[in-house]
Amino acid sequence: MQKILLIVVIVLLSGCTAYQRDSNRLATALNTQSPERVLAQLQDAEPKARDNAQFHLNKGLLAFLTGDFDSAITTLSLAKKEMSVLEATSISENVGAGTLSETLRSYSGYPTDRVMVHNILALSYLFKNELEGARVEILQADIAMKKLAEKDSLNGQLASAHLIAGIVYELLNEQSNALISYRFAQDIITQRVMPLPLGLKQALLRMSFKLGAEQQFVNYQKRFPDLPKPSQKTDNQVFVLYFDGVVSHKVERTVVLPSQNFAQLIRISMPDYPRVEQRIRGAQLRLSKQQVRTEIVENVDDLVREDLERETPSILLLTTTRALAKYELVRRVTQKDNLVGLLLNLATVATENADLRSWNMLPGNIQFGYLETTENEIQINGFNDRPEKINILKGSKNMILINSLSDHVFHYQQL
Amino acid sequence: MKTQKNLWAALAVTFILTACSTSVERIDAQEQIDLSGAWNDTDSQLVAREMIDDSLSRPWIVQFVTQTGKDPAVIVGSVKNLSHEHINTNTFVANMERELINSGKVQFVASAVARQEVRAERGDQDLNATAESRNVARQEYGADFMMQGQINTIIDMEGKTQVRYYQVNLELISIKDNRKVWVGEKKIKKLVRNSRLRQ
Repeated sequence: MQKILLIVVIVLLSGCTAYQRDSNRLATALNTQSPERVLAQLQDAEPKARDNAQFHLNKGLLAFLTGDFDSAITTLSLAKKEMSVLEATSISENVGAGTLSETLRSYSGYPTDRVMVHNILALSYLFKNELEGARVEILQADIAMKKLAEKDSLNGQLASAHLIAGIVYELLNEQSNALISYRFAQDIITQRVMPLPLGLKQALLRMSFKLGAEQQFVNYQKRFPDLPKPSQKTDNQVFVLYFDGVVSHKVERTVVLPSQNFAQLIRISMPDYPRVEQRIRGAQLRLSKQQVRTEIVENVDDLVREDLERETPSILLLTTTRALAKYELVRRVTQKDNLVGLLLNLATVATENADLRSWNMLPGNIQFGYLETTENEIQINGFNDRPEKINILKGSKNMILINSLSDHVFHYQQL
Repeated sequence: MKTQKNLWAALAVTFILTACSTSVERIDAQEQIDLSGAWNDTDSQLVAREMIDDSLSRPWIVQFVTQTGKDPAVIVGSVKNLSHEHINTNTFVANMERELINSGKVQFVASAVARQEVRAERGDQDLNATAESRNVARQEYGADFMMQGQINTIIDMEGKTQVRYYQVNLELISIKDNRKVWVGEKKIKKLVRNSRLRQ
């Protein structure tokens, strides 16, 4: 009976890793296949309940990239709710993770996921022409970031979330809130020792000028002396976000060693991100007289690596503790029955899998560009080198999202 | 052997705790239930009732009746959601409309969307209804006042505890001259403690 149970446990746990491999394969496929095709394949998957949050995050993001904003909102809201419930610690899952495998814990999302979900939801509402809904999401992103904030750490603090908030506030003519959000974005980018995108510098100048915040405006003028003074009358405004590439996914690093007396095998598996050389590619906005290139606001790939790095000490502690417990269990069982001991050892080795789950279809980095123009047509050159022409109405505010994974260009316009 | 038994016991507990079934129980629609601490139907109904009661007990209504000799005609405009939650303001507007109509103190004019549909029907009657039953155009009742407002929230938190503060502001504006004749405010404060443990 015990042998059968052992086999069942091994089969169940190997199922977890098979699903994870599929999920990572699909994330990689995004580089060569359209989001529509990857979404169709992902929908065929049948995740375990404990993988639901990750499944819904990926499914929602793919729906968003295909332009199905209703589905994206439904699915990502579900993921958001699941992650919120899973914030509380589960005793049963901890027992499972502590005794058998890390993968028995429900995926509750990393800090980056918890904020990015609001970013994608805000953009979904925006491109669905529901500016009020987008405003709700940026407020929720702010709450999520405040919850995650730690002293002297940028844990869960996303410049892109503040930037999107600034744009949404600007679209709503809430200039004071917009300036505050742009300043938060600037603080985070500065703390990450990244160059400030031109679009953000312009936003800080523009908002402090419009608000009449003289001292701040003078300070920004000193900091950005190359930028012209904003004009009283604003031309057509175009905010452009560019999602570039796909974030890295985790791999398993495993060590299998014989015990000191060669009586049993001990396996330690840890999740890790492989070293990759990131190629950051920008998009170009072209008008007859000017040209703007999008610049990086958020390196999501760096953020997910930092998330894992922050968790690594506790994962390592739990993994080694579990290995010791498994070793002791096998030793005692072997003393009673060699065969059962051997089978149990094989089971302990087979069930020792690293948790490779992550929101592995997020964009690799997020870029931003801004322009003001009196022209009514702009040309966008994305990574695919298929220029897209966008018509803009006179006196309008426009938000455009392009990505390197598909030809979709999403456009929100308000007069 | 004892350790092995513990392992199986731990496994059994894990599977038992993860198993749960769905149960459904019918409850009174008026029953006050707070599950998440978010804005819910109870908040919507209570705020609508209290604010409409307040608005109808103020001097503007008596002054209007004295001056014109008729009950004021009111329309509910938009209620902006400036909160942290996706609040369905249509439900809140519907609750206010119900309270206003049922008060019997004001005449109530249909919303802009509803009016368009009624006008289409009237246009159809113009072509197809008998002369005796036909309702002609240009007989609409014009509203004297429009109610507008917004829902705001402030969230304060410490660890797993949140204080959710909702503030609903409504104002009644005279359509004739843009005078604000009544401004109402209703606050709701909720203390939400999220569990640190789950199943």
